[in-house]
Amino acid sequence: MMERRYNVLTDEWVMISAFTQQRPTNPTTTCPLCVGGDEFSRPYDLASFDNRFPSMKVDAPNVESENSLYKKARSNGKCEVVVYTVDHNSAMSLMPIHQIEKLIKMWTDRYLELSLQPTIKYVFIFENRGAEVGATLSHPHGQLYAFPFLPKRIEAKVQSLAKYYDEHGRCAICDVVENEVSIRERLVYENESFVALVPFYARWPYEVHVYPKRHVSSLVELNNSERNLLSKVLKVVTMKYDLLFQQSFPYMMMLFQSPVNDVRYEHAFHFHIEFNPVKRDKNKIKWMASVETGTWAFINPKLPEEAAAELRSVEVII
Amino acid sequence: MNISQIIDLENFSDIDMKKIAGYRKEDGFELIVEIEKLHLGFKIKGYLKGYVDEVEVFKFKRPDKLLVNNWQSWGPSKVIQKDFQLNFPKELIQKFGFSASIMPESYFDNLLSDYYVASDRFFVGCLSSKVAHPYFQIDGDEVSVKLKYFGMNFNEWNETETIVILLDKPEVTLPYYADLVAKENVVNISDKRLIGWSSWYQYFVDFDYEKMCADLENARGKGYDVFQIDDAWEVDIGDWTPNNKFPSLEKVAAKIKEYGYIPGIWLAPFSVSETSTLFMEHPDWLVKDGNGNPKVAYENWNKKIYALDTTVPRAVDWLTSLFEHLKDCGFEYFKIDFLFAAAIQGKRFENVTPVQAYTQGLNTIRQAVGDSFVLGCGAPLLPSVGYVDGMRIGPDTAPYWDANGPDIGHPNAYYALRNALTRWYINGIWWWNDPDCLMLRKVDTQLSDVQRELYTLVSLLLDNMIIQSDNLSYEIDDGLWNVVSEYRKYGKRKVLLSGIMSGQYNITSCGVHGCDLLSITDLEKCVFTYSKDSGDIKLKKTIEIQDDGRRFNYYNEND
Ligand SMILES: [Zn+2]
Ligand SMILES: [Zn+2]
Repeated sequence: MMERRYNVLTDEWVMISAFTQQRPTNPTTTCPLCVGGDEFSRPYDLASFDNRFPSMKVDAPNVESENSLYKKARSNGKCEVVVYTVDHNSAMSLMPIHQIEKLIKMWTDRYLELSLQPTIKYVFIFENRGAEVGATLSHPHGQLYAFPFLPKRIEAKVQSLAKYYDEHGRCAICDVVENEVSIRERLVYENESFVALVPFYARWPYEVHVYPKRHVSSLVELNNSERNLLSKVLKVVTMKYDLLFQQSFPYMMMLFQSPVNDVRYEHAFHFHIEFNPVKRDKNKIKWMASVETGTWAFINPKLPEEAAAELRSVEVII
Repeated sequence: MNISQIIDLENFSDIDMKKIAGYRKEDGFELIVEIEKLHLGFKIKGYLKGYVDEVEVFKFKRPDKLLVNNWQSWGPSKVIQKDFQLNFPKELIQKFGFSASIMPESYFDNLLSDYYVASDRFFVGCLSSKVAHPYFQIDGDEVSVKLKYFGMNFNEWNETETIVILLDKPEVTLPYYADLVAKENVVNISDKRLIGWSSWYQYFVDFDYEKMCADLENARGKGYDVFQIDDAWEVDIGDWTPNNKFPSLEKVAAKIKEYGYIPGIWLAPFSVSETSTLFMEHPDWLVKDGNGNPKVAYENWNKKIYALDTTVPRAVDWLTSLFEHLKDCGFEYFKIDFLFAAAIQGKRFENVTPVQAYTQGLNTIRQAVGDSFVLGCGAPLLPSVGYVDGMRIGPDTAPYWDANGPDIGHPNAYYALRNALTRWYINGIWWWNDPDCLMLRKVDTQLSDVQRELYTLVSLLLDNMIIQSDNLSYEIDDGLWNVVSEYRKYGKRKVLLSGIMSGQYNITSCGVHGCDLLSITDLEKCVFTYSKDSGDIKLKKTIEIQDDGRRFNYYNEND
């Protein structure tokens, strides 16, 4: 069973993805992403491939709504596994900058290629790192969901950014960048083209956002030297995370690019990356519990300015 | 009808919008105008009842510089100043009047822009042309926004086409408008962004099967998707069977397929020549004048050309079987030309506007060819949105560049490229723009190296369709063709063009390998700078499909 169902209470789509067969719990101890594992028989550099158990497929079955109350739609999207490197023991924080730069190119190509499908409305690139956020494989990899609809939080971002643009005639993130660079207290790292900061509006204790200084709506519009500078930011942020508590730091990393097959918001939508880490302390987790899940309202137990100061003071050499 | 309110869009206030809203009673009809807030501006919707020839929705103050647009593929899209005057040679009005305008009765004595206008600070445009023809009449210091209904009678309240006012610079408003139109007309753009070959700009009508076979042979390794035979193969305009220069169409298509290309064919499906059998046998299928005589739509091939009435049921059947037959023969790419003919004013079987007649014709073709690629040409732009995969957005190119020639849709590489620039934002949103063919031959052409290079770079950086038209046995600019192949290895590009109002065009064109810049400081003289953003990393993609159907994309450096 693979279909989308519409929630009339919240105006959102839910993807139902129930397989008749159970997903196998890995029969061997071999990593499926290592050479010789389930997915790769020979050496590779980077790869992005169709998930064996996708919740959306380009050729997803046609579905018919039961009635106007219970609307259904095809899950005609795509779920890919995005493998960063053949090296099992690596991580974003351990990878050479050159490899991260290649990863950025691969992300760019995935975004452009998937956007050629007229049915795709949003390409969401992300990484769940660590068992704390549900990652089952330690091999450095992320994922990608190409949605045939605009997911709710993306829609919220598009609408707020468009509203800000209407009210001020400017992009909100451009204004945030300008402001943060001048007050500096929430900056974690800065280079010529990017800032990494704990945002004023952080929802998670050590949340970090990466914003390009120049207005671009996607990775695509970054030139090569900017892509190189972005790879440095990603390296620095993840290194700082690992060094903060001297442990492999669990996080959700999410790329927010403007919707595809829709250019209406490119002037207002500023490409950014969010790191949502779940740790509030070395041994404490900030859970997404009732309040966060049920109301979408977050209580952040950490003052963003303090988190920024802590992360800023973690020294890294790249 | 006279509306005294003139909105100043350059010093805009919300209260102005309220002035144009509400109920009005005009001569013969009633109108309700509704205003809705929209990101970047406003949406204006109307409701009509009664007999309507045309509606003036509102007026605004004319800015010093205005981007104006002609309704048709070939017509100019350009920036005009206050001293601009239309200079259309009188002797051509008779031959090409209906090509220049859907309303030639006023076009030549007025200054009109079809579908939209834009300035440095604002944009006004219509989201569709399904029944009415939306246009702007520029009169001294005023611009009047009008919907032409050609004398329609609405017994019930009828929703008008939607107009938008957007307040921002053209880099923002133009693509935004294009997207609003695509959503209004439910466009599902094809993912087939093709490279191909066409016979026209090398051979014109002097083309035959032998030449086709020779070029097919010489095209090995070029990497085309499509190979299209142009005007030359048919018995007559309207008699779409092969003449004695070609074998059967099955054989032509099969030959092209042998080389691995999609077979493509040209025709002018709404045009009927005075010498054709179709004209003799079915004068009842043609659009007529007030006296009931077939009406001349235009003159070309030294003949009078009449227009197919796309509302006559038997003519519709004929059109359907024509395209079904071409498809059965093996053609999957249709370049359909002189499409404006279906939209001329006149008497038709059904009481519809010329715009409705046109879309009915286009819809008939779309239904007949299914998901084959349809390239529109000589076509009313806005009514075609949602029906074609590709569209010619400028006049015919030519093996010459004449910046002093008349800007009236005549063949000219200069104006063809100018339109590719001034209509850049609809590419990939309404359809794939066809800037017209690249001529890469170094002989049998008056184009200079730099003109050829600029034409190629603009087409590539704007991510348009790429169709080459050369005798491939000639000396070809291979360096330039390599640039084409390199650009087309990877997917879609993101493009932004600024400077449309100043005529100094800056294109930023980004793809997987980086962001390339093309700055044209003087289009007339072909003065430009091009910088390619190569970067250190050359990432190669290889695709493998596994036994279970899953796709693996491998990215490797080097090799
Ligand atoms: Zn592994
Ligand atoms: Zn911005």
